[in-house]
Amino acid sequence: MAETNTNPQTLWWAVARSEEVTNAKPINVDLGDQPVVLWRDADGVARALEDRCPHRRAPLSLGCVLGNGMIQCGYHGWTYEGETGHLKDIPNLKSTQKFPPLYRAKSYAVAESGGFVRISENPAATQPAVIAAALPLSGTEQVSLTHSEFLNALYDDPALVIAIRGVRFTPYLATELIEANGRLVMERNCQWAGPRWPAPFIPEFPASLLISTEPETGESKLIVRDADFKELLRVILAPVPGSRGVTQVRWRAKLASHRPGIMAKVMGTGAPFEILSAVDGAALRVLRPSVSVHAEALRQGIIDRRTASSQAA
Amino acid sequence: MLETVQTTSHDDDILANAMKPANFQKAVNNWVPHDIALKDAWFPLAHSFAVEAKPVRRSVYSQPFYLWRENGVAVASEFHPNDSERSSKSIYSDASGRYPVLERYGYVWGWYGNPANADPVHLPSIPYLPEEGNLPQHMLGTVRFDCCAPLSLENLIDLTHADFLHADVVGDEKMDKEVVEVFHDSETITMVRSCTNKSVAPIMKRFGGVKDDVQQVRQVIRIYLRSHAAIAYGRFSPGDNVQLFHPCVPETRDRTRLDYTMNTSNVKKSNPFRYLMPKASYKVSRQDSYMTSPQSPRYMNPEKRKDLHSPLDEAGQKYRVLMQALAERQAHGDFSYRDNVSADCSDIIGYDGK
Ligand code: FES
Ligand SMILES: [Fe+2]
Repeated sequence: MAETNTNPQTLWWAVARSEEVTNAKPINVDLGDQPVVLWRDADGVARALEDRCPHRRAPLSLGCVLGNGMIQCGYHGWTYEGETGHLKDIPNLKSTQKFPPLYRAKSYAVAESGGFVRISENPAATQPAVIAAALPLSGTEQVSLTHSEFLNALYDDPALVIAIRGVRFTPYLATELIEANGRLVMERNCQWAGPRWPAPFIPEFPASLLISTEPETGESKLIVRDADFKELLRVILAPVPGSRGVTQVRWRAKLASHRPGIMAKVMGTGAPFEILSAVDGAALRVLRPSVSVHAEALRQGIIDRRTASSQAA
Repeated sequence: MLETVQTTSHDDDILANAMKPANFQKAVNNWVPHDIALKDAWFPLAHSFAVEAKPVRRSVYSQPFYLWRENGVAVASEFHPNDSERSSKSIYSDASGRYPVLERYGYVWGWYGNPANADPVHLPSIPYLPEEGNLPQHMLGTVRFDCCAPLSLENLIDLTHADFLHADVVGDEKMDKEVVEVFHDSETITMVRSCTNKSVAPIMKRFGGVKDDVQQVRQVIRIYLRSHAAIAYGRFSPGDNVQLFHPCVPETRDRTRLDYTMNTSNVKKSNPFRYLMPKASYKVSRQDSYMTSPQSPRYMNPEKRKDLHSPLDEAGQKYRVLMQALAERQAHGDFSYRDNVSADCSDIIGYDGK
C-alpha cells in the first residue's frame, strides 16, 4: 500500500477495523485534526465523510444511518449519500428536489481489505494493494502520544506501548533501524518472561521481535520469531494521528497455531497481544532515545527518494 | 410547499447595507457568535422568586451580577457582600458597584452596559406575561446550555428543526402547507410560521385532550436581539395556545442560562397539559443540547467554508445578519436603540389576550 505515493493526500490510513464499521450507528475517527464519520451503506460498503454537516457544522456522527444506506444529520435531518457526499434530502422540503452540486459534505475514498477500513483524502487515489485474509485477533486503543512519539517508543522500548504474552523485550538489538525495501526495519532480541538471567548474560536469545514500518503512515508489521526462525506471532499495527496529540492504534494479529516449546505455548494463554492504554510517563521521560535518534532522518530519506523517483517518472 | 415573505420596516444605514444581497451573504458566512457581545441591554437574570436576602450569582459575558433583596427590593452588584478582596470595579456599575436593576414579568432584570443609558423603555415587551409576575412556580424552570446564546436562539427561530429533532414532543413535518414569514427591525426579528393540517403535537394528543389527527398551527418566534430573549408563541386549533418566554442569557460567551416561563394559565385547571407542558422544556432542551453542546469550536473562530442553507433557513440567516449589524454599530460607538422594544407587540405576534 502507498508504496509509491509521496503526496500525503494520496496516503491510505487504516482508520478503523472492519468490525467497527456498521450500518447500525455511525462512528467518529480522526485523521489528524480532521474528524471523519464512518458507516456502512445498504450494500455493506464502508463510507467516509468529513464529520461536519455543511449546513450548521454539527458532527454527522451524532446522526443515524437510514435504511437506504445514507447518513442523516441529527440536527435538521439533512441526508447525504456516502460515496460522493452529495446532499439528497432535507426534511420539510419536497424530497424530489434536486440540490446543486455544491451541496455536499467532503467525502473520502474508502478501501477495505484485510480487516481494515482505509481512507484517503484524495477521492482519486489509486486503490491500495488488497490484503488477503484478515488476521483473526484485533483491537483498538487510543494512546496519549503523538504519532511519532508512539513509534519512537515502539522502537526504543516496546514495553512502554505494547505487551506480548510471555515475551520480554531486551535492550539488545539484533539489527538497528535500517532501510529495507523502502521500509524502516529493526529487530530486537527477546527473552521469555519469568525469572531469567538478565539479558547481558544470555549467550543465545530464544526469540526476537521484528518491526517493519511503512515510513509515511507508520503502519507496521510486527513479527515474533523463535531461534529457529519459526514465526510465532504476526501483528499489523496501524497508528493514525488524531486530535490533541492522541494516536488511534488499530491492530490485527495472528498467533501461529503450532509453537514449539513450553514458553512459546504460554503465548496462547490469554491475550497474546495488546497495546497499552496508558503510558508510564515517568518511564517514558527518562527513556533514552537510541533507535529513534536516527529514525526521522532515515524516514525522511526514504520519502525524499520516493518523491524524486516519482517526479522522474 | 413553502413560501417565504420578507418585510422590512425602517431605515438604518448599517442595517440597510447589511441587507443588500451581496453583503447579506457575506455576513451570513462571517458568523462567529463567540465574537459578538452586545451592550446596553436588560437581561432577565433570575426569576423573581429566586432572588431573596441571600445573594445568588449570575453573570453576563463573565461580568459578575450578584442579586439579592434589601428590604424586599431587588439589587444587583458586581461584588458579593462577603467578598473582602474586591478587585477594581468595572465601568458597568455605579460607584458602589451596583447595576441598574428592575423587576417585571416575574424576572429580575439587570442592565449590562453603560449605566447612564439604562432605561425601562428598553425592556422587551412580553404581552402574555403578567407585568407583576406571580405565576405559579410549576410554570417556571431553568435550563442551561453549554453553548453560546446566539446558537440557542438561531436554533429556536428555525422551527422546522423542531419537526425533526423534537418530533416526539411537538409533532413531525407532515402537513399540507407551510408558510414562513420573517419581519425585522434593528432590535428584533420575528418569524411567523403557519402550518395547515399539521400532525398533532404528541404532547397535546397524549396529555392535552386533542383527539384530532391534524391541527392548524401558527407559531411565532420573536427575538429581542440585545437581550437575547425570545418570545415563543403558538396558536393551535384544536388545542391550547402555548405562551413561552425563552430568554437566553449569555452568562459567558459560550454558555447560556435559560430561566423560562411557560404561562399555561390559559389552559383549564383540569387539563394535565397545564402542568406537563412547562416540563417539556427539559426533554426538548436535552434534544437541542445533544446537537449544540458542548460549544462547537466551529463557531469560535472564522470558518473558511460557507455554510449551506435551505429556503427554511431564512430567519436564521437574518438573525445572523441583524446581530452583526448591531455589533458593527456598537463597534462604531453607537449604542442607541433605533426601534422601541417595549412597545406592546401583541399585534405583531398575533396575541389577542386569550
Ligand atoms: S446541521 Fe446538519 S442538518 Fe442542520
Ligand atoms: Fe430546538
